[in-house]
Amino acid sequence: MTVDTPEDLVGLLDAAGLTGRGGAAFSTAAKVRAAHGNGAHLVVNACDGEIGAVKDGYVVEHHLDELVHGARLVSGGGRRRRQVRFAAHRGSLTAHALGRAGLDVLEVPDRYVSSEETSLISLANGGLARPMTKRRPFVMGGTDQAGRRVPATVVLNAETVWRIAQVVERGPAWFRSFGTAREPGPRLVALTGAVARPGVLDTEAGVPMGDLLDAARPDPGWEHVVVGGLGGVLLTADDARSTTWSTAALARHGGAVGPGVIDVLDPSRCPLDVVTSFLTYAAGETAGQCGPCMFGVPSVAEAWRRLVETPSTRELEAVRAAAGLLPNRGACRFPDGVGRFAASALEVLHPHLAAHASGPCPTERSGHRVHRA
Amino acid sequence: MNESLWYVSRATGVASIALLTAVVVLGALVSGRRRPHGEQATVVMAVHRWLSLGMVAFLLVHIATAIVETYVSIDLVSALVPFTSGYETLWVGLGTLAVDVLVAVLATSWWRHRLPERAWRVVHYSAYLLWPMALVHGLVLGTANEMPLLATTILCGVVGVGAILWRLLALPHHDRARRDAVLEQEWT
Repeated sequence: MTVDTPEDLVGLLDAAGLTGRGGAAFSTAAKVRAAHGNGAHLVVNACDGEIGAVKDGYVVEHHLDELVHGARLVSGGGRRRRQVRFAAHRGSLTAHALGRAGLDVLEVPDRYVSSEETSLISLANGGLARPMTKRRPFVMGGTDQAGRRVPATVVLNAETVWRIAQVVERGPAWFRSFGTAREPGPRLVALTGAVARPGVLDTEAGVPMGDLLDAARPDPGWEHVVVGGLGGVLLTADDARSTTWSTAALARHGGAVGPGVIDVLDPSRCPLDVVTSFLTYAAGETAGQCGPCMFGVPSVAEAWRRLVETPSTRELEAVRAAAGLLPNRGACRFPDGVGRFAASALEVLHPHLAAHASGPCPTERSGHRVHRA
Repeated sequence: MNESLWYVSRATGVASIALLTAVVVLGALVSGRRRPHGEQATVVMAVHRWLSLGMVAFLLVHIATAIVETYVSIDLVSALVPFTSGYETLWVGLGTLAVDVLVAVLATSWWRHRLPERAWRVVHYSAYLLWPMALVHGLVLGTANEMPLLATTILCGVVGVGAILWRLLALPHHDRARRDAVLEQEWT
């Protein structure tokens, strides 16, 4: 495919139906069009910020040339070439690989909210890596909390940028030969946790999740899986095996393909404790800016800890109420994700909680070696 | 006529001080860590805003009559530019300076929705400067020889200082404490 003008590129992306692979699944064509229209700087997000995520690092490790080509295609549009930076966690292998390749690396602190789109824009402009309020999309330029001007900047996930290069090279028809009509194209998924073969698979929407899991050889006794990390949902093995890998199918469980992480929980560990450690981590990752993040997320974690200690309907309702207060209130979607995760844990682990209330942990009874963290 | 203007000027001056003090007290109430919540906050904020406009009305009469009456030489220029008046240069100038600062506070509040929060806040803090300037201006010039007026001004001073102390001496707010603790962490 030839890309002579920025319009050609947007046209190809539109035809391909490429959406952001970082989790939000927003139209890439729309973002690239806005980036060209506003002469936006580009930040390629290779942070793998979600718990268990490794696919950005995979793209950097195996497809760096195409990644750089894709970034050039996006930044080359418009009247003049704009700055391109590659964001990766400080000290990570990904950051080293990007640095070795001579690329402009934006070193990001290893904090959950720091790899969020607006955090990266803030950091790239000399601010702190904390989310900013989006009065309008930053691809149009804007101001930070202190009223300082923030130049137009677009943030694209590393896999997305790699896919842009692929779409241009092989064409929208090739791209659409993968996936479903609603979720077209190849997409990466990371398999991690209690699996014999952890790693990244280049797959597509619509494949049975059981096939993806089997490819990674999960622990034979596995019972639960987290899809999408801290911003995702918990599924039982039965639910996971009966669904396909697509947002359309996962929506039934409140989930989405998201940033492409499937985390098989260690069956020898009480799943309540796993959720506790997820939520405790979340509580410590607040940006200290908005109420739902600063107080809401820790109070969900605290309510959950109380529920695990003394399972009762009252404590269960307390978790549900606290989690229900998180969505749609912060500058970013971090509290929304944690609320969703906590709600799905309540739903899926209800039988396990009931067992706790009436006796010993089923995980211990099943004879598995138990180690608590 | 001239004499009555002089009295009007002094009376509106004292009224302005009293109203300004009320506005400062309400401002200290709504901005401090122990600020009221809910409907209460709405009422206090509304009174703070509208009373400040009422105060401006008295202040305009005070300034206008001081210029027009001819007992002392205060002209339009010295009503706007501090320390240019022939009469009591320092003390009239202090009042003029307070008015100039007040104009900045009013203007930034009027266009608050178009300004960065920080810019508005910095200018608004200068209210804590203009209030004592206006108070000293009134104390030295207008009310020093009239017991009721003097008492009013002193009472304003006591009430205002009390409100500011009440604001400053509040215990640290858990919201602020948490924000600061998180800010200490690694964010760059």
